[in-house]
Amino acid sequence: MNKSMLKAAIGLIVLAGLLVVPRFVESPYALHMMILLFLSVSQGQSWNILGGYAGQYSVGHAAYFGVGAYTTMMLMYSRQVVPWVGVWAGVAAVIVVALVIGSICFRLRGPYFVLASIAVAEIMRLSAINLTTLTNGAEGILVTEIPAFKIGERVVTDFLTKVPFYYIGLFLALLTLAITYWVQHSKLGYYFQAIREDQDAAHSLGIHISVYKNIGLVISAVLTSLAGSFYGIYVGFVDPPTVLGLDVSVQIMLICIIGGMGTIWGPVLGSLLLVPLSEALRSNMITEGLVKIGLVSADSKVGLFLKENLAHAHVLIYGILVVLVILFMPDGLMGFVKKLASRRKREAA
Amino acid sequence: MPILEIKNVSKFFGGLAANSDVSFSMEQGMIMGLIGPNGAGKTTLFNCITGYYPPSKGEILFDGRRMNGLQPDKVCKLGMVRTWQKVRPLAKLSVVDNVMVGALARTISLKTARDMAMEQLKVVRMEHRADFLAGGLPIGERKKLEVARALATQPKLLLLDEVMGGLNPAESEEIIQLILDIKAQGLTQMVIEHDMKAIMRISDRIVVLTSGEKLTEGTPQEVVSNQDVIDAYLGESHA
Repeated sequence: MNKSMLKAAIGLIVLAGLLVVPRFVESPYALHMMILLFLSVSQGQSWNILGGYAGQYSVGHAAYFGVGAYTTMMLMYSRQVVPWVGVWAGVAAVIVVALVIGSICFRLRGPYFVLASIAVAEIMRLSAINLTTLTNGAEGILVTEIPAFKIGERVVTDFLTKVPFYYIGLFLALLTLAITYWVQHSKLGYYFQAIREDQDAAHSLGIHISVYKNIGLVISAVLTSLAGSFYGIYVGFVDPPTVLGLDVSVQIMLICIIGGMGTIWGPVLGSLLLVPLSEALRSNMITEGLVKIGLVSADSKVGLFLKENLAHAHVLIYGILVVLVILFMPDGLMGFVKKLASRRKREAA
Repeated sequence: MPILEIKNVSKFFGGLAANSDVSFSMEQGMIMGLIGPNGAGKTTLFNCITGYYPPSKGEILFDGRRMNGLQPDKVCKLGMVRTWQKVRPLAKLSVVDNVMVGALARTISLKTARDMAMEQLKVVRMEHRADFLAGGLPIGERKKLEVARALATQPKLLLLDEVMGGLNPAESEEIIQLILDIKAQGLTQMVIEHDMKAIMRISDRIVVLTSGEKLTEGTPQEVVSNQDVIDAYLGESHA
């Protein structure tokens, strides 16, 4: 069996395993974690197409995430539009937003583009806070009941458990993976990477820079918007800070940067690290663990301090992690894995 | 009809004239040498011709078509491609992928592009480097990669900006042979070069620029025996 067949076989086994998970796992918490993981993969992968492949570091992807989430939720809330239609309205809205942003911001290069992308996401967040008639302002939009998904008269799912969300999330993650794979193995991927490596050289080789940057942005934004809509429907609630905040943009970037930019598996690795980590921090699992193994006692000053503060420290720990990755693994986890593999190969030779 | 006509081209940066009133034309299949002391405006002229700067005055005609104001990607599609004095490899891509980016200007199929790229790598004798990362190549091979990548866009006119700069004599000799091979295939070339011996050997005609103006034009023999050129290069006291 050759290497690519082995890879395909492993892929199929993992996929089959993921498909049957809900049959064996009943714990809603475990399913919730998996759904968060899928969401994270699709976010990271969408950013990867623009940031990792085309080298345009957008720190404003919350704009697309939020516009997708808000459009779907607003339509469901005030017009009772079913979410699987609202999702496409979100996509349409995001394409318009992306093209407007792209045509303006892509005149800028490097750090100036980064700043412009932050500004655009902030404009979206402030608009969501202030256009209260449309968005409910800072209160956000709460939708408690999602209409059942019917084909004709047959109810496919009524969204009462986490299982349908699990499959939708899995589909979304696989879709973004497939699109990234397709991008990498097409003319688009070559042109994106040429622009990333040297814009002037790319220009001289017949690449229309702004056209290709905008194509990258639209693909990336549409996928981010799908993730946003999925998030909105799953949580049932959106408000400006949770879907349009700057930390949403940063989070999306970090998945990809820590995992490895411009690689297909980078965002997957990044998600596998970051989702459990942030969950462990948020739920105080680390403090509890330290107490359990007897390192700190629960009522000591240290124990109380950790319990009080560690849950709020996940941003800090993220920050430390980014610094460590940049210092020691500039190409992310994926680059690190590749380096180890090539070193082993060399030693074996 | 000349393949390229430069008509009274000037380029101003603020009050500074980097090129002023430069005119010459090139016939199909020839090699035109472009020489001049540092700061004479050779690279600026390249940038004007290939669309990086619009000329402030004058006209550039390629295949009879007015090129002023066209963007570099369009210029490349129409058949003019340049290499860079300071090489610009796509560092994190492999050598063959670099050349494929050039080939993709003419095809959408990666397979066709790969075949075209391997063909050009053979021309520059770098097939054995196909899977190396471009960023790890030594300077001589980076220069050849530039040429292969430019050739892969299937140009009618190739503009080489100091491809021999920084190379040792053996490497330079290889590039000279490469340029002559390319000429033998019928491709028209414009070459900026500092190495006078090399430029005399390869050029059919030479244009000399000083301080942005065309000093003279002629065959290599005419140019070396021209008193103005000797003055410009060696200073008047040597004359």
